[in-house]
Amino acid sequence: MSGTYLLQNLIDGISLGSIYALVAIGFSMTYSILRLINFAHGDILMIGAYSGLFIMVAWQLPLWASLLGAMIFAAFVGMLVERIAYRPLRGSNEEATLITSLAVSIFIENLGIMVLSPQPRGFAIPKFLTKLHTINEITISNMTILIISLAIILMLVLTYFVICTRMGVAMRACSENINAARLMGVNINKVVACAFAVGSGMAAVAGIMLAGQYGRIEPLMGFVPGLKAFIAAVIGGIGSIPGAALGGYVLGLSEILLVALLPAAYSGYRDAFVFIILILVLLFKPAGLLGTLEGRKV
Amino acid sequence: MLSRRDKLYTGIALIIFLGLLGILNNTLSGYHMRLINLIGINIILVVSLNLTNGFCGVFSLGHAGFMAVGAYVSAILALPLTKKALVLPELPTWLGSIEVNFLLSLIIGGLVAAFFALLIGYPVLRLSGHYLAVATLGFLIIIQVLITQLSHITRGARGINGLISYTNVWWVWGTVIVTIYAVWRIVNSSYGRGMLAIREDDLAAESLGINLTSHKLLAFCVGAFFAGVGGALWGHLITVVNPLSFDSNRTFNLVVMSVVGGMGSITGGVIGATLMTIVPELLRNLEVGITIFGMSIPPLYGLSQIILAGALILVIFFRPHGLVGNWEFNWNFLKKSKNISKTTQNL
Amino acid sequence: MKKITAFLLTLVMVFAMAGCGEQKDAAKDNEAAAGETIKVGAIFNLTGAQASLDGPSLNGFKLAAKEINAKGGVLGKQIEVISIDGKTDQTSATNAALKLAEEDKVVAMAGFSDSNYALAAGPTAQEAGIPFITTGATLPSLPEQVGDYFFLAPFGDDAQAYAAADYAVEKLGSKTAYILKDTAMDFTMNLAAYFEERFKKYNGEDAILLEDTFKTNDQDYSAQINRLKAMKTKPELLFISSGPSDCGIIVKQVREAGIDIPIISGDGFDTPLLIELGGEGANVDTYFATHTCLTNEKELVKNFVTAYQEEYSREPENGFAALGYDTMYLIADAIERANSEDPTAIRDAIAETQGFEAVTGTISYEPGNRVPKKSVSVLKVEDGKFAFVEEVTP
Repeated sequence: MSGTYLLQNLIDGISLGSIYALVAIGFSMTYSILRLINFAHGDILMIGAYSGLFIMVAWQLPLWASLLGAMIFAAFVGMLVERIAYRPLRGSNEEATLITSLAVSIFIENLGIMVLSPQPRGFAIPKFLTKLHTINEITISNMTILIISLAIILMLVLTYFVICTRMGVAMRACSENINAARLMGVNINKVVACAFAVGSGMAAVAGIMLAGQYGRIEPLMGFVPGLKAFIAAVIGGIGSIPGAALGGYVLGLSEILLVALLPAAYSGYRDAFVFIILILVLLFKPAGLLGTLEGRKV
Repeated sequence: MLSRRDKLYTGIALIIFLGLLGILNNTLSGYHMRLINLIGINIILVVSLNLTNGFCGVFSLGHAGFMAVGAYVSAILALPLTKKALVLPELPTWLGSIEVNFLLSLIIGGLVAAFFALLIGYPVLRLSGHYLAVATLGFLIIIQVLITQLSHITRGARGINGLISYTNVWWVWGTVIVTIYAVWRIVNSSYGRGMLAIREDDLAAESLGINLTSHKLLAFCVGAFFAGVGGALWGHLITVVNPLSFDSNRTFNLVVMSVVGGMGSITGGVIGATLMTIVPELLRNLEVGITIFGMSIPPLYGLSQIILAGALILVIFFRPHGLVGNWEFNWNFLKKSKNISKTTQNL
Repeated sequence: MKKITAFLLTLVMVFAMAGCGEQKDAAKDNEAAAGETIKVGAIFNLTGAQASLDGPSLNGFKLAAKEINAKGGVLGKQIEVISIDGKTDQTSATNAALKLAEEDKVVAMAGFSDSNYALAAGPTAQEAGIPFITTGATLPSLPEQVGDYFFLAPFGDDAQAYAAADYAVEKLGSKTAYILKDTAMDFTMNLAAYFEERFKKYNGEDAILLEDTFKTNDQDYSAQINRLKAMKTKPELLFISSGPSDCGIIVKQVREAGIDIPIISGDGFDTPLLIELGGEGANVDTYFATHTCLTNEKELVKNFVTAYQEEYSREPENGFAALGYDTMYLIADAIERANSEDPTAIRDAIAETQGFEAVTGTISYEPGNRVPKKSVSVLKVEDGKFAFVEEVTP
């Protein structure tokens, strides 16, 4: 096995991991505040990708505008879903919110099939992004570079937001203890809405990146990334934002590297190996890589 | 435990119910009997899921994986030898040369599923909450991959077809009765009390001397056993099994049924399974094109799922603990006066 | 209490709505009895993962029924298509087949582009003694597995894989090949196996240099492509056994990685997505064997494309639309020849079909064989369009 072969796979793994990380972060943000497993998160990603396509095709706007527009629209949809479906259940048991999010997911997916037609559509990205660079037999496209760098930029912005802004501080306070935060005068509704908006916006970016990388969108495209985000968030330590990012990269890298390193006859076993790794991680770190077990009053 | 009076009532109710099934079996069309059988299979699956998820608080998403194990084991064992040589020529000789009767294949299917539960449960049941959920979901995906890849035993993605449709109303509802009885006995035994204690507060339960691992493992394995049997019944009803039959959607479906009915209750499981089997079939009738005032509206496929999702959200709004919560069916409503207020309270 | 009332009201509403639907159904039934229509069942997966294939099939199927009815129907009666969504779920598929057989009393059924669902619904129709024609499932052993009431409208996988192998060897002169196959689909596994068999027959046992796998909707094939790039001896041909959802992306990623070896495949490639997603990459030496070429100059094909455009204001999405269209005509033809609405008579008439001219080629069933002998079209991507290369009967 040559070094270039390994390096090429590493780059591809990081690119895939960046997308998972973006989805997982949003997933983890809402979880940390509401203890909500949001299965509809992947469908917000789908909505983001479709709105991005719409902006590019119908309004003929450049990619950056479509990214921005899709983020805003997805953020709006995310807040809407929270307002309609999740807020009435605030403080309810976990199973109830889990089922609600499953129902929201079914709702959005089937609405997508009805309104957008089940036919997959091509998602063409601007020419300059498909340009390939070949260095030492390693090929890397501008799209891959964009995905990796955009993910890093967004994560840095998010870090600034969470650490330095009032809303970020309020968000952290809520994830520590939502009741204490409420007593300290934090407007919970605002914080939750904001978490949904930010998470959905990041999912929209991931959706466009995914669509751009693979050139195709369809109403059910959110299901797999949504599930992967859940897994990535758990690997990293659910509720921890850096953990979710790390989990995303670990998942993306292991998916690509396992296929690359295993003999061809075993590449069909990829998902099984990914989950064996996942279970092993959880056995040694029962709260994920960066998570902490919540203290219990006895 | 049941009083003598309750036993009598239960016995009478059972006889009436079985008699009714017999009558329906001879009068209803195959389509309606198929629905009744599917209700039964879903009851088996959901009640067994409630034992782990509801009574013991071990939130598992692996139920479809155990179904798959049971379905495949039973399918391979019960396939007639002549067909086996055609469909599964690559089987190891010891497997290829045996044919067991349906009952035995169901039991073995269940046992193998329970064995898998033991294997996976021993390490992962130490996890809690969503970590456990993801680990069990992982088990489901591993099983799917194995079934797809071990094609000399399972025919891989092609699946095994041409199963004999052994499953009929008596197999299904007989198993339903066995499942409900078994789960009811476990829940009302000292082991079951231990499980409830673990669900409410595992730390407190442990400090009272309840062995967490053995209790959780028991619930997990018994749940898996009936999931395996249910999967086997399903396979011999549809007559074809393939890896896609047991995907994460199926698990989610079962969890939905369980939560809608009420996770911590056998009655809840029965109600959830029944409703969630019938309602989608009824909603299908909405998916016909209609003509209003001369304007024809084409059939909107997907509408039934959308309505179902909306209804689900409403159910959870009004009853976050499911339709019946932790309430269990009893005969108290037949008693007069003072107990009535108590029953309605529990509702 | 208020909550409970509200909840009960909602429930009542849902059931009432469902009930309404049912009543309408019943009304339709009566109407049917009065108007003397012939009922034909259609089970397609209109929601879920299969929707993009089955949706166009149903459109074609209904379009054909409409055309037949406009010309006066069959046996002097109108055809009524009763369509049920299979939801890409085996349980729903079998329920639908039972419902069509017992409640709606259809005389024939059609549906599905994937053998998994055809295998679930087929036996139900077989047991009820109602002919079932699958519009798009191409597993050649299906009729044998299900029974004598089950027919294929398309050719079998063996035919298209042989045609692809023949073309590669005879016209492209390939001596060695690489195979990439989707392990999650029955169809892709079979296609790869038949191709391998034929290709080895021509070029010897060692002609397949590497066989790699992926799973439907993996979306990222870079690991496989990297392995292909790292191969010491480069193959002369890539056989990519994939379904329509993956083909465009695979071709795109293969070409983007700088590999320009000819690619060949089966009808999984017959989708506009190949060009939309494959982009420039698909223009480079990409061939596939499929049912028909919609840019074909044949009268029948042209009429179909125009009619489809008029009805749905878009081009036929893929070849499955044409297959659905042909299946309806095939059923109508059989009913006409049987001169009866009896399902068994219709079955016998279908089995005797000879030289039936259809959009996707001429359909004939040889005695005892319920997979039609049909011609295979080989297509090539040229300037962002599918171009007809040749028609063969392997």
